[in-house]
Amino acid sequence: MLKYLNSTVSAIAGLALGATAALANPYEEHAGETLVVNFPAHPHFDAVMKVLPEFTKETGIRVEVDQLQYLKMRERQTLELTKNRGDYDLIAYVVFSKADYVYADQLENLARFFMNPKLADPNYDADDLIDGYVANIGVAGGKKGYLPGPTGSLFGLPFGSETSVLGYRKDIFDKHDLKVPESYDELLELACLIPELEPGMGGLASRAASGHHASHAFLLHLAPLGGRIFDDEWKPIVNNAEGVQAAEALKKIVNCGAEGSKTFGFAEAGASFLQGNSAMFLDSTVFAGQVNNPDKSKVVGLVEWAPHPVGVRAGSQTGGFGIGIPKNAQNKDAAFLLMQWLTSKKADKLIAMAGGNPSRYSTHADAEVNEKFPHMSTFGEALKNADPDWRPIIPVWGKINADLGTTLSKIITEDAPVQESLDGVAERTQALMDDAGYYTWTQ
Amino acid sequence: MSVAIKANRLTPYMFLAPAGVILVFALLYPIGYMVYASFLDWSPSQRIGQAEFIGFRNYVNLWGDEAFRESFWVTIRFAAIVVTLEMFLGVGLALLLDRNLKGMAVLRTVFILPMMIAPIVVGLMWRYMYHPTVGIFNRTLKSMGFEGVPWLSDSTWSFIAIVIADVWQWTPFIFILALAAMQSLPRSALEAAEIDGASEWQKILLIKLPLMMPVLIVTLLLRLIDAFKVLEVILVLTNGGPGLSTEILALRIFRTAQEFQELGEAAAMSNLLLMLLMALTIGMFAYNRVQEARVARQRAAAEKDDD
Repeated sequence: MLKYLNSTVSAIAGLALGATAALANPYEEHAGETLVVNFPAHPHFDAVMKVLPEFTKETGIRVEVDQLQYLKMRERQTLELTKNRGDYDLIAYVVFSKADYVYADQLENLARFFMNPKLADPNYDADDLIDGYVANIGVAGGKKGYLPGPTGSLFGLPFGSETSVLGYRKDIFDKHDLKVPESYDELLELACLIPELEPGMGGLASRAASGHHASHAFLLHLAPLGGRIFDDEWKPIVNNAEGVQAAEALKKIVNCGAEGSKTFGFAEAGASFLQGNSAMFLDSTVFAGQVNNPDKSKVVGLVEWAPHPVGVRAGSQTGGFGIGIPKNAQNKDAAFLLMQWLTSKKADKLIAMAGGNPSRYSTHADAEVNEKFPHMSTFGEALKNADPDWRPIIPVWGKINADLGTTLSKIITEDAPVQESLDGVAERTQALMDDAGYYTWTQ
Repeated sequence: MSVAIKANRLTPYMFLAPAGVILVFALLYPIGYMVYASFLDWSPSQRIGQAEFIGFRNYVNLWGDEAFRESFWVTIRFAAIVVTLEMFLGVGLALLLDRNLKGMAVLRTVFILPMMIAPIVVGLMWRYMYHPTVGIFNRTLKSMGFEGVPWLSDSTWSFIAIVIADVWQWTPFIFILALAAMQSLPRSALEAAEIDGASEWQKILLIKLPLMMPVLIVTLLLRLIDAFKVLEVILVLTNGGPGLSTEILALRIFRTAQEFQELGEAAAMSNLLLMLLMALTIGMFAYNRVQEARVARQRAAAEKDDD
């Protein structure tokens, strides 16, 4: 009897133990699996690489990372995603790939994973994810097709996302008793005042090189100044008064910039600021990591950060990367677990401490993170104004972007008339949109 | 016909067959693929089978595309200017250096160095040299009291900048071929001319250049084809800017496929470029053929006179 009781007790204990183990370790079912993921070579993902071993330790799921230069990554993914059985279980994608991948039905809708009680962590706290990023990078199918709305759904999570902030030289601002610009008027005035106060120094380092760079810089100013590329019926309005104002702002900034600024790309504009040749820098947050690195920067300890100045509205850029699960992935459940872990509060903080771009409000407000990176709370504030619609995410955008970028370059370098040039862009864009079928319902 | 004779006749074809098969797969298949793709509305997210067939629409679109027309003319202008400059400089250098000087072997090697450098490196190197503040050109100009030149930020100057870089890199190619051709010229003709009292200029214009002509034409053709396809140096130097002032066709094709994600249109552009180059090649060979025929006729006439 005693023996019987004993075995029953141990059986019950065993069962209970098993149950607790199952509760405590939702990863058990997938332990031992190997995931293949595709990440870009990018400061955020370099930080992720430092944190990944923690995931394997915690879950028993191994991760192989294929890290590629980001244009190469896009090329590889294009091939991978059209295969019947893909090699990648999880991919990082740039925001404008969302339009192509979702439209070609190559990314998993995340609803079925978040519905699965064995996979979805109830303490994930999705409300804490930065709204602008989720809207910009994760959601498709809502308003205008690429924004959230009643018909939208989630295809990815922001991971390595960026917004725009204003970096400025504290020492220069203090020396001349200058006020940090909060509005566009102040920004433009300062941009041209600084070269007068500090001969040889440019006001604001901005990109302006023909093509993508010029277009990006223009869009940075277009949203805060109240403009858009399209109205709600896809009619191009880039040539309205706000568009002209944004182009003139860009031209003014470049003309008051450091020498050679008419052909600056992102790297050159950044270098100009890091070398101490420009007093301000308005672009992606990803740049912030380099400012206090003495190998790259001559302005260590001299830079402070402020939110993107406000025009008629507050609107900073949204961009960078997100992660999603390809339709042809082979270990989708485990890939979801990795995705959820990487964007969880815990990992978001670990990655931020390792030098990555956090995707959560709580991480930006975290005391420990702010102690190491004092700019984080400013970035967190700036993120509340992150505008997911600062540029359209549609398949034909590449071509419009290039046209806009070369036209702006002509405005900057050849003094082409602003209104006429933007009218040309609007006209060509309209023809492109018509060709792509955007007016099927309105004509 | 006996079996043996038949087999004998087939033998050469059998030996040719492997090469033929390789040619079909390695050359005709990709070109056929490209021609087919140029009739499709094809994004890289689709397999080729899923792409929509749109007939000649890509070509029609290109016809009306101002940016394409502009880059087409940039390409023609670029190719014409660089090849002309390179031919003059390359042949001129070869004429100057076709003599027995001490250390000539070293000098020749030094001359062809630019050609051996990877194009990306050439692009980066020139980009730094053209840099508005730290570049060697502007620093030198400024130290002499002149204004700096906006090398890469002005549309005319940036075109000049890419021409200079290309001439620097590819003149040695023409130089080395011209020199080889010159050194294999029959000495007897030159000696005969010397005995007849021909001056150096007469020897160059009436003997050396006409005798080198077949080689020079092939050289010109090779350079022309290359100049139409040049990509990396310009990609690194200006990326086509400012505006579209240096956006040559190869770069436009690259961007259409990569940035605009329109493989069909990129294929159509490549086809147009291919046809243009084919026309040039055929024209050049036809010209060569006519020249040769004329020379043969003259020789026959001369031989007849001798009789």
